[in-house]
Order: sequence, then structure tokens, then C-alpha cells
Amino acid sequence: MIFLITQVTILCFLIIAVVLWGFYFPHPSPLIRRWLPPRKRWPEAQIRHWLKTRKFQRAFLNYFYRDPERTPPLGNSILAPADGAVTSVEVRDGVRYLVIALSFWDMHVQRSPVSGRVVKVESHGSDFMDGEGRQFVFLMKKPCPVQKRVVISTSVGEIAVRLITSLAARRLEVWVSEQEVIARGQRIGRILLGSTVVLELPASVILLVRTGERVRAGETVVAQEMSSA
Amino acid sequence: MNAFWWTSGHLGWGVFALTVFTGIWWLLSDLCWRLLTISISRLLAVMGIAWLVGVACILLGFYVAGW
Repeated sequence: MIFLITQVTILCFLIIAVVLWGFYFPHPSPLIRRWLPPRKRWPEAQIRHWLKTRKFQRAFLNYFYRDPERTPPLGNSILAPADGAVTSVEVRDGVRYLVIALSFWDMHVQRSPVSGRVVKVESHGSDFMDGEGRQFVFLMKKPCPVQKRVVISTSVGEIAVRLITSLAARRLEVWVSEQEVIARGQRIGRILLGSTVVLELPASVILLVRTGERVRAGETVVAQEMSSA
Repeated sequence: MNAFWWTSGHLGWGVFALTVFTGIWWLLSDLCWRLLTISISRLLAVMGIAWLVGVACILLGFYVAGW
């Protein structure tokens, strides 16, 4: 009997470990996560090798380029422009900067947080030298930031979405053009192997997310107009 | 062969060893994939061959030693 109990106990632990692996994959299982430094939570050496040789595995690229449908919630609230974790909320000169860090495994297509008209699509740092706005923490961390900034005119003022990548990845796609009227939750672009999206909001809006929270592009409500609160 | 699956009121050591080995090997493959610079296909091939060798050793041990 003692053997059976020991065997069943060991098998139960193993099943839990495998189920956790499957549930969190491709993110590391919580059982090994604590022992992995952040750069080892994804196959960094493998990706760097692919970038260097420019030979990517098709299965990986198909996964990385996934673009699932999203259903925006009803109402006029402001949605997250990207999948990822909120890493900082900074107010500077009347603008609230909501920084969303995309993990390597997050979906990399960005969506419009509001409906409105695209006023500007700006490029910064396209020569891979220092881009505009180096004073911001979210850019200081990037060795050579490359950015696209989509400015949308709305009823609460101008709202901008910054797509930021770095020298290693340095590929951004913006799928909207100036003067185009876009819907809430509409796809606006994609960062290829990139990492940060910043939502610039008027300081008057009420923020509904906190640092550390995970958000989903086109689905998670991140802020609300003062009048509709 | 029955002793492989069930013996003396507990799981047979053969099937138990195979299950534990396969589970640990699976988790170890994931860890190797995160830590090593190796293409996924090559890693799968290496880990797959090593798994087959491990399974063969377990089966051989079971029948030779008569567990």
C-alpha cells in the first residue's frame, strides 16, 4: 500500500507540473519562472541567432504574427492599444503616459484605443540613432529607440499611441494614414519583435488600470472620460 | 507482462518508470529550449532520440532484471 501511495503522490506532482506547463506555455511555468532571469524566460539566444542569420523558423513566425479577432466592450471608454503589462503611469506637462510593455510572447498587433480621426503619423529615430523624447524613462531603457506615433483626434482631445521598438528589432508597421477615420478597437499597426507601446492621454481622464496589471489590445478598458465616470 | 502494469497491489515499476521519465523529459526539454542556443527542430530531434533511448533502457531493465 505504501508503494501505491508513493507512486500516486509522485504521479500527482508530475501531472500538476505538466498541466502548469501546458497552461502557461509559451511563458515559463511558475515552477521554473523564479529561477529564470527575465531574459531567459524566452529563448533569447535562439532569437538573437535568428536575427543575426536572418533565418527564422516558420512555425515561430506564424505564432509571432498571430492576429486574433477582438471584441471591444460597448461604450466610449478608452481601450488598451496593446497586449502586455502596464509598467508605468507618468503625468508630464498635462499628458498622462501609460506605458505597456509587451513580453516576447504577447500578441504584437496594436489596436486603436478610441474612435476618431488620425491627425498625424509621426516617425522618430528611423535612422536608429537617438529618437525624440529621450527624457522619458520608457525610452531611456532602449539603446536606440525607433518610434511611430499615431495621433488621434477625439472628443476628449488628442490621444496618441506610440509604437516603440529598438535597434535589434527596428521594424514597425502602421496601417492607418493621416485623415483616416478609425473605429475603436481597429487594428492600427504592428511591432515586429518589438517591445513597448505608450498611450498618451489627456491628464483629465480617469485611469482604470494600475502598474503591474495585464491588458489586452482592443478589449481591456484602461481609462474613462471624466464626464462618463 | 502483467507485472509491467500492476504488481503486488501497486503500479508496475515498468509503467511507473516510463511515466515519470516521460514527464520529466518533457519538462526538461522545455528548460533546454529556453536556456540553449539550438533550433527547435534539432532540439526536438535530440530530445526525441534521447527519450527513445531512455524508454529502451527502461524496457530492457524491466525484462532483464525481471522487476
